[in-house]
Amino acid sequence: MLGVEGLSRRFGGIYAVREVRLQVEQGELRGVLGPNGAGKSTLFHLIAGQLSPDSGSVRLRGEAIDRLGPARRAEAGIAIVYQNDRIFRGMTLRENVMVGAHSRASHGFFAAALRTPRFRKEERELAATADAVLDEVGLGGQADQLADSLPLGQQRSLQLARALAAAPSVLLLDEPASGLRTGERQRFAATLQKLRSRGVAILWIEHDVRLVTSLADRITVLDLGSVLAEGTPSEIRAHPGVIAAYLGGPEEALD
Amino acid sequence: MRFAREHAVIGAALLTSLALSALLGESVLSLYVLLLLTAIVTVGVSVLMGHAGQVSLGQGAFYACGAYAAGILSTNGVPTLIGLCAAPVAAAALAAAIGIPLLLLRGHHLAFATLAMHIIFLSLIGELREVTGGDIGLQGIPRLDLFVVELDSPRDYAFLSSIALFCVIVLLRNILGSRPGRALRALSSSEVAAASSGIPVGRYKLAVFTLSAGIAGLAGGIYTFYLGYLAPGSFPVMLSIQYVVMAAVGGMGTVSGGVVGSALVLLTVDALSRVATLSGMPSVAPIIASYAVYAVLLVSAVLFLPEGLVPFVGRLWSRRARARSPEHADAPAEGASVSR
Repeated sequence: MLGVEGLSRRFGGIYAVREVRLQVEQGELRGVLGPNGAGKSTLFHLIAGQLSPDSGSVRLRGEAIDRLGPARRAEAGIAIVYQNDRIFRGMTLRENVMVGAHSRASHGFFAAALRTPRFRKEERELAATADAVLDEVGLGGQADQLADSLPLGQQRSLQLARALAAAPSVLLLDEPASGLRTGERQRFAATLQKLRSRGVAILWIEHDVRLVTSLADRITVLDLGSVLAEGTPSEIRAHPGVIAAYLGGPEEALD
Repeated sequence: MRFAREHAVIGAALLTSLALSALLGESVLSLYVLLLLTAIVTVGVSVLMGHAGQVSLGQGAFYACGAYAAGILSTNGVPTLIGLCAAPVAAAALAAAIGIPLLLLRGHHLAFATLAMHIIFLSLIGELREVTGGDIGLQGIPRLDLFVVELDSPRDYAFLSSIALFCVIVLLRNILGSRPGRALRALSSSEVAAASSGIPVGRYKLAVFTLSAGIAGLAGGIYTFYLGYLAPGSFPVMLSIQYVVMAAVGGMGTVSGGVVGSALVLLTVDALSRVATLSGMPSVAPIIASYAVYAVLLVSAVLFLPEGLVPFVGRLWSRRARARSPEHADAPAEGASVSR
């Protein structure tokens, strides 16, 4: 589904991402681990098109998408949940999520200004999509609230809802679980499972190693911008390089 | 329900404006037409600044562009109605053409570039004497002929401007509440997140820049037929600054703020210039008075009402309403409707 080949990006001569190669299949939940500064978020920005690489290529369903900007990549099926909150302020939860579904409708300024029948139909569909997705992440009753008023954990859920509204085939999650309370965490884990069973390819950056190893199908470990290890959770736990990078024994490191 | 209330407010505003157009005395009617035309432009500026985060100090040039497009066409034998329709089209076309390089800039850079564009546009008008009449001006512009009626009194133009303002307000509210409008509001909040939601940020910025220019052009077109005479001196740079001050005072991003802001600023300037032209005042008093109003209003708006007058009053209102009925203490925030 998603392929990354030899992707590199430097900032001021220092590699943030270096010759990264990975392949995520349909319905795969791929964990991405690594210490701070390992290049995880930079990798996501390169995949989503917010940054352009110095070299290397990103492929979606086998086709290179390197020339597409972030909006076109979103249309092509890549959605992202950012680490820092990037909700749309001054808009309700429903409107936030309807923006996420932007590519699923097509009416423009003229249709909107004149309130054409197509406009009305699409707006109804968008609102229905938004309400369904809000239900799914547990924000169902608050659709008419302003997004600004949400506590941090729920802002994450709102971002997730916005990403899901696009019905993406690739979902990039940058520490979506940080700031979530226990109940929210469980719901989040359930949502991930459900998305995986729908066939969404998920790349998931997370600091909570235990959470990742318990849920992910495969894990990629980044260190200093390069892929240090890749494999199933049990392979990663036993990987000598990973143990060394995290300093100390496997129990302390990955527990 | 909220939507129905909005419709009622807009409808009532139109009726009030039509009534004022019918009832106001000849002496204040010209001020009223000017106020309506200014409000049309300011509403566009307010949406541009509030929802797309762009500061245009060149809106006066789009106003002038619309005015000259209508004026030049109708003095060359083109029916006046077509001239009026060409006004917003010409201004929007100018904005689309210069917007592509200009919108690579942002913040102060964009503001100064649009200001420069205004100055360049004025000197172009001055230079192209054969077409525009140069500094002497374009004369002999016919009155607007709508086939059934010819608009020849200030009162007619007050009616026309009221209807035009109404149409612009309805158009903008429709847009802001829909997919393209949500996209604009989203990108003013976070361009990065908007882009990764599938919104082509650059195209939308250009679209709203063009739209606000088209609105200014429409007002310019009406102005042409109302006055029957155009000269570069009617479109000073101060005009562009005035729209931004009005939008800021009224409340950026709000359609009603654009109307309230232009009314407040224009009436204050008018009142002060009456005082300044009383006998015994020094000859520079009128100029100082008008410039001072813009400065004082802008500075006090930024200091004391950074969100603008209309959102501020809206919040006061909902707070008082909530204080009176404590059981509705956590009703959905009022900001949702204000921001449209």
